[in-house]
Amino acid sequence: MQIDYGKPLPRISPDNAPFWEGCREGRLMLPTCEDCDAPHLPPGPVCPHCFSDRLVWREASGRGTISTFVVVHKAWFPAFAADLPYNVAQIELSEGPRLTATILDAERSDLFIGRPVTVVFLARDGIVLPYFRPATAD
Amino acid sequence: MKPNAVIVGIGASEFGRSLPQSQLALGATALKHALADAGLEREDVDGLSLHLGWPLGSDYDRYAEAYGLDIRYVNQTWLHGRFTGQSLQSAAFAVSAGLADVVACITAVSFTRERGFLGGPGDVEGNREEGGSHGEAPPYGLTAPAGGAALGMQRYMHLYGATPEKLAAVPMSMRAHALRNERAIMRKPMTLDDYMTSRMVVDPLRLFDCSLINDGAVVALVTTEERARDLRQKPVRIAGMQGIRAGREEFIFAPRGMGINQQSGRQGPARAVDLEIYRMAGLERSDMAAFYTYDAFSPLVLFALERFGFCGPGEAADFVQGGRIGPGGELPVNTSGGLLSEAHVAGWNSIAEMVRQLRGTAGASQIPDARALQWGTCWGDGVILTS
Ligand SMILES: [Zn+2]
Repeated sequence: MQIDYGKPLPRISPDNAPFWEGCREGRLMLPTCEDCDAPHLPPGPVCPHCFSDRLVWREASGRGTISTFVVVHKAWFPAFAADLPYNVAQIELSEGPRLTATILDAERSDLFIGRPVTVVFLARDGIVLPYFRPATAD
Repeated sequence: MKPNAVIVGIGASEFGRSLPQSQLALGATALKHALADAGLEREDVDGLSLHLGWPLGSDYDRYAEAYGLDIRYVNQTWLHGRFTGQSLQSAAFAVSAGLADVVACITAVSFTRERGFLGGPGDVEGNREEGGSHGEAPPYGLTAPAGGAALGMQRYMHLYGATPEKLAAVPMSMRAHALRNERAIMRKPMTLDDYMTSRMVVDPLRLFDCSLINDGAVVALVTTEERARDLRQKPVRIAGMQGIRAGREEFIFAPRGMGINQQSGRQGPARAVDLEIYRMAGLERSDMAAFYTYDAFSPLVLFALERFGFCGPGEAADFVQGGRIGPGGELPVNTSGGLLSEAHVAGWNSIAEMVRQLRGTAGASQIPDARALQWGTCWGDGVILTS
């Protein structure tokens, strides 16, 4: 089995491809149901709320709050060893669904549940990934 | 329908780090001990329930081939705490339905040799097309199950004011149990200071919040009440069962609804549907002389206690204080020391301990007059065993 020891890239599937295409354009896209109007994550083949097939992709605000987070201190994955310690958070978007990403430019004391954050996009190995930054006051 | 299923034999290998034996050899030792314990012959085993398989171990067919078994019923899960109770339940279904006469539940682990599968580049679980079940986010470096337990605990602490000092009661209680158990790998007392100064692994979890990484095997033999009558041991009855809960309100390493992944953020008290196991067993929660759970990470003990209503939402960190879940406590948990201090044999070390307790052969760990014990996990599955 070929194991890539670099940092893993997202697995792009028919269901989530528009999400990653949106990232490439600097837009955070959410699959949204035309029948019940609810967005959802992670992207699925049907609306998980009403089981409708009628999904469209709508751009999200890119704003949210930290709903939980961890700080990794152990080098499970050699490609991340140089980054230790680094954080990984779940972000509750203002539209409702949550996604997981790292909060950039944040010390441990900057990380707390409820902290407002905004999305930024960074390229890595030909893929653009969403990250978040602590939000500045509007 | 109540299952017609009893545990008639248990066996184990040595538990330890970097054991020289292969995984198959550890399993063979455990199976021989279980057969001798039950008074059964290898030829009597016609069912297998393996809590194992790819990528951490061989599949059922290699086990049957290696041990010279002739099998007519197989259940196989892969190795996760989610499937400890499920693999025991499958054995109960099989003998109840007449699909097998004697099912051997086999769990054998060589974690020390297979370390590369645990959380690193070789751990392909989180990198599947739809990802892993523990909140993994491999592109951001969250690649190990411990990360999922940490996501759950961080939010739990925020919501309910639980602290690391309170969480410490879980690994300290498991250690206190292990001190009474000669098979346990960790035999040194753990103080609060030991806990607080153990290195941070994934904040808020420290080294002592994470299970041991070791080798070992446990086998349990399951058959019907009728078949058990002429066997050697007093049978231990599988009196109640309930299955794993799943859906958008569930994340395996957080209480239902608490706000991890897509959970609504509304954690409620234990629901009637989460307590049906007691109804099936014809018992009350208060009849449980002890509770056994999958303590791969110490927060899971808190979440399991809330799942089954031993305390209310957010109350478990206080509930476990004052020795309540330790030796001689009001509700002892994992009386042989659990995955945190006895050994990580995927929970089957605790299933074997439950059988010893109900037989009255648990030695220094024995709970006086233990008649009903519960296995239950924070993801909601359970098995009640009675003497
Ligand atoms: Zn819908």
